[in-house]
Amino acid sequence: MLAELRSLQNTALQELAGVESPEALETWRQSFLGKKGQLTTLLRGLGALPAEQRPEAGRMANETKQALEAAYAEREEALRGQMAERDLTASALDVRLPGRPPALGHLHISTQTLREIYAIFGSMGFDILTSSEVEDDVTNFQMLNIPPDHPARDMWSTFYLTRPGLLLRTHTSPGQIHAMHKYHPEPFRVILPGKCYRYEQVTTRSEEQFHQVEGMAVGRNITMADLKGVLAHFAHRMFGSERAVRFRPSYFPFTEPSAEVDISCMLCGGEGHVAGEPCRVCKKTGWVEILGCGMVDPNVFRAVGYDPEAYTGFAFGLGVERVAMLKYGIGDLRMFFENDVRFLEQFS
Amino acid sequence: MLISLQWLREFVPFTGTVQELAERLTMQGLEVEAIIDPFASIAKIVVGHVAERTPHPESDHLSVCTVDVGGPEALQIVCGAPNVAAGQNVPVALIGTSMPGGMEIKKAKLRGVVSTGMICSERELGLSEEHDGIMVLPASLRPGQLLTEALGLEREVLEVGITPNRADCLSVLGIARETALGFGLPLTMPALNLKEDPAAGNAAQAVRLEIADGELCPVYRARVLTGARIGKSPDWMRYRLLAIGQRPISNIVDVTNYILMELGQPLHSFDRALLKGDVIRVAPASDGQTITTLDGQERKLLGSDLLIWDAERPVALAGVMGGANSSITDASTEVLLECAIFRPGTIRKTARRLALPSESSYRFERGVDQVGSVFALERAAQLMAEVSGAKVMAGVATAEPKPWAPREHIFRLERCNALLGISLTAEFCRSTLTGLGCSVDDSDAACWRVGSPPHRLDLEREVDLFEECGRVHGLDRIPAVLPKISKSLDSVQMSDTEFGFIQALKAWGVGSGLREAVNYSFVGTEDLDRLNLPVEGRIKIANPLSEDQNVLRTEIAPGLLNNVRHNLAQGNASLRLFEVAKAFVEDAASDTGARENSRLGVLVHGARHSQEWPWEQSEADYLDVKGLVENLLAHLRLGAGSYVLEPEHPYLAPCVRVEVATKAGPKLVGRIGRVEPKIADAYHARKEVWLADLDVDLLRALSRATKPSFKSLPKFPPVRRDVTVICPATLHAEAVEAAIRELKPKNLESLALVAVYAPEAASEDKAASDGKAAERNLTFRLTYRHAERTLVDKEVDKEHGKVLAGLPQKLPVRI
Repeated sequence: MLAELRSLQNTALQELAGVESPEALETWRQSFLGKKGQLTTLLRGLGALPAEQRPEAGRMANETKQALEAAYAEREEALRGQMAERDLTASALDVRLPGRPPALGHLHISTQTLREIYAIFGSMGFDILTSSEVEDDVTNFQMLNIPPDHPARDMWSTFYLTRPGLLLRTHTSPGQIHAMHKYHPEPFRVILPGKCYRYEQVTTRSEEQFHQVEGMAVGRNITMADLKGVLAHFAHRMFGSERAVRFRPSYFPFTEPSAEVDISCMLCGGEGHVAGEPCRVCKKTGWVEILGCGMVDPNVFRAVGYDPEAYTGFAFGLGVERVAMLKYGIGDLRMFFENDVRFLEQFS
Repeated sequence: MLISLQWLREFVPFTGTVQELAERLTMQGLEVEAIIDPFASIAKIVVGHVAERTPHPESDHLSVCTVDVGGPEALQIVCGAPNVAAGQNVPVALIGTSMPGGMEIKKAKLRGVVSTGMICSERELGLSEEHDGIMVLPASLRPGQLLTEALGLEREVLEVGITPNRADCLSVLGIARETALGFGLPLTMPALNLKEDPAAGNAAQAVRLEIADGELCPVYRARVLTGARIGKSPDWMRYRLLAIGQRPISNIVDVTNYILMELGQPLHSFDRALLKGDVIRVAPASDGQTITTLDGQERKLLGSDLLIWDAERPVALAGVMGGANSSITDASTEVLLECAIFRPGTIRKTARRLALPSESSYRFERGVDQVGSVFALERAAQLMAEVSGAKVMAGVATAEPKPWAPREHIFRLERCNALLGISLTAEFCRSTLTGLGCSVDDSDAACWRVGSPPHRLDLEREVDLFEECGRVHGLDRIPAVLPKISKSLDSVQMSDTEFGFIQALKAWGVGSGLREAVNYSFVGTEDLDRLNLPVEGRIKIANPLSEDQNVLRTEIAPGLLNNVRHNLAQGNASLRLFEVAKAFVEDAASDTGARENSRLGVLVHGARHSQEWPWEQSEADYLDVKGLVENLLAHLRLGAGSYVLEPEHPYLAPCVRVEVATKAGPKLVGRIGRVEPKIADAYHARKEVWLADLDVDLLRALSRATKPSFKSLPKFPPVRRDVTVICPATLHAEAVEAAIRELKPKNLESLALVAVYAPEAASEDKAASDGKAAERNLTFRLTYRHAERTLVDKEVDKEHGKVLAGLPQKLPVRI
């Protein structure tokens, strides 16, 4: 019995060494280790042995079984490796074929830019509010300290609706009025994103529709230094900390003092020219305007019922597409609303 | 506003560079948008001396000139001007010079004679309309000198963007004031040297002034000049006007323009000989009245327009434009010079309604310095006398029903610093305000009284003075600090707002492989008509830019369909788009008369996959768009939705109503459908256009009403059984599903359609020829599971048997 076991083990291991395919390996397994295999058959004979030989033979049989099983596992592992290698070398798998692509969606570049803006102001504690796109003259202009027949109205070419007194909002600034009504008399800070409309011929640099983000903070003891802090932080996060930022006095009827914020030109780096040619982005000035801002005008506070002697605040407004154009070097504003999928999928 | 540096330097001794000035003005709030060389186009023209002139051998009107241009050799130039003569100094364009019209001067042969340059007329140089002959220059000039230098032409002009509040800066004087302030320089007004001629008469007696309403016209002054000779203005005046883009006309008219640009006071000169009677009246028009303005246009007026009348008729549209019946012509000799102030709103209304913006109306509507107007009138009269030889009558006809009232404001330094966030000193603020022309009474240190000057109409309130102090100090010098702003902690819950919901929808769209489109909110009436959308409820734009953008979109579809057209034209044939935007419909109950309803539009067209390999080529169809909608509803915890055919729809066929079950019954959340081929054709769509239009506001409301809640994961294994039913092709899978559920097999956990097989016979032709209805096979997979124990085959077989037996009884199907 013992000799038989030894001889079986030797035969089996010899045969196993010659096994070169998974199929042959399976045949080998069935031949030696299977239910009707040689080892099993041999083991069935164990019971017929004299009692004193049984422990020795049983131990031996177990050892043989374990040895064969281990050899089988080892061979199987080796074969699997060989097969994989063979598949590759035989180019059964063309690893350079284009993959099967999942459908990729894209957010519109305006939405993406808006989200960046939300994130920056969100981190400074600004909530987000929205308001309607159809507005009345009172909210869009008069409550913002722009009376009828005021020359400042030239700053906003307006689409009027056929119903008198109604218009498409020319800026997100009427949102200031809505925000103040909502929070009065509490202090607050919000941004108000949305679409705006201007009666302007469509060119590469002007559009009849665009997105703006208005911002407003109202409270006690808010200063122009706070405004500068918030907007400088925004400009640096949006355009890079290496950009210079400057505040230039300007005029908006609903803020006093008012300012425009410029950053050093990203194309020429503020030099005004690129390789000896005048810079086409900043038109030689070295600066590009990114937004308008100021301290809330007392008349605006009065229109809503905040006491301008007790409250101060700041407001700002920026054009989203303009930001995107500067940031991504888009030269033509009209592309934003053509929705050419080749444009839409460029930004992700 | 264009500002000539030469002109500016007459008012303020600024010696720095134009760049320094531009930088300083910009940081004071007067944004210099460009620095222009107005004579760049003639920068290369040189002075030439005609040494010799001989007639052209082959022509009776050409001359051959030998012209010294300062070089070693004189040039031979053929000239066609009759006035060219030896001994003249003339402007010469050398070979290679580009002329203002764009022509480049080349060496040429004129009737056999070589010409190496061109002698220019004033018109060719853009200096006037003069083209009868060449321009003859002063004899004192040196040949070879640049013409621009020789004539002292301005080479540096600032283009300054003036904000609507700074009417005072719409003049050389205004910019000079700011320059003086910015660089600490003195401001010098031009010396006044007006010689009146009492012998010519007295203006106050010659003209009687009547002002109907002092609110509309607070002051009207007139000077009278007699014996003027109309002609060309002197060169210095013409060149100066040209440098800032003003076309010189004639000496009298040029002076009014010159003073307007220099001092910001609009003036008007009448031909007094054409005025009837000796009276000037300022009074409103009557409705429907007309006046012919000096551009020859007849203007229809309203009672809100203000007119200048003589004894009989209107002679000017006040502050906007003079009348044709009384304007200065070449024959004029008698001049009535008007210097008035009109109410800004009145002028603005008229100029806008008549689309007649002018340099005058632009200034009047922003406000003109009433006190300073006296000086402007005197200087204008003096210049007119100088350039036209006219005599100036003694005195000024004056009517001033509403004299300038000085304004005083309080100024609290503490509040100024509190607003700006800095610590300006009292001394700085005092000197700044004084420098601006304000009077300062600081006897109460905490609350000064500050009088603002008449040219600064924008300094109306204390806060305006704060701005001035901040502006002069420099906003750039205010520190940037991150604010300690107190605010309520009741922040808006982002996810709970419409805004937050739309953000989530967009994330879903991107995750579903859709591209976000953003379209115009306005479309054309035609776009809505094409989709057979109702005319009622449309919100129209009163002043559209074009007829294809004259109405607000009442649905999301038109924009997306336009995107189909654009993209197909560009060769982008496979489209998977979405847009979240507002649709606008009239609503009397809304504050703005408009209901703004946010919609989600999804559009698929053409190949299902953007590339062929390794997908099988296939076209997007109903199941693509429905799958997207089902997926969205599931994402919003609204179930799969139910889908009901709608027999009629304005532009979708088939059209499917998407309904969501609620406690209050099914709610219509939107529609899915194929754009009718005829309509799709209009957008050049070659493949089926499938569209979903969903109500975002309603989806949000429904989604908010549900909450995600945890369900334990199953502990015991499922048992799955498939059933394939052979049924008429017209029987909806949903009906089979419902029937299975009605049979209520015990422990059924879920039920899913796993295969649809339409044997060839499903083609209707064959079915018809066989005389039986087309059939298809539907395979459903039923998953059975017990929550607390493992199911045994036997009990599942029993339940499943109920289904197999029950289905053919409920429906015309075979198993």
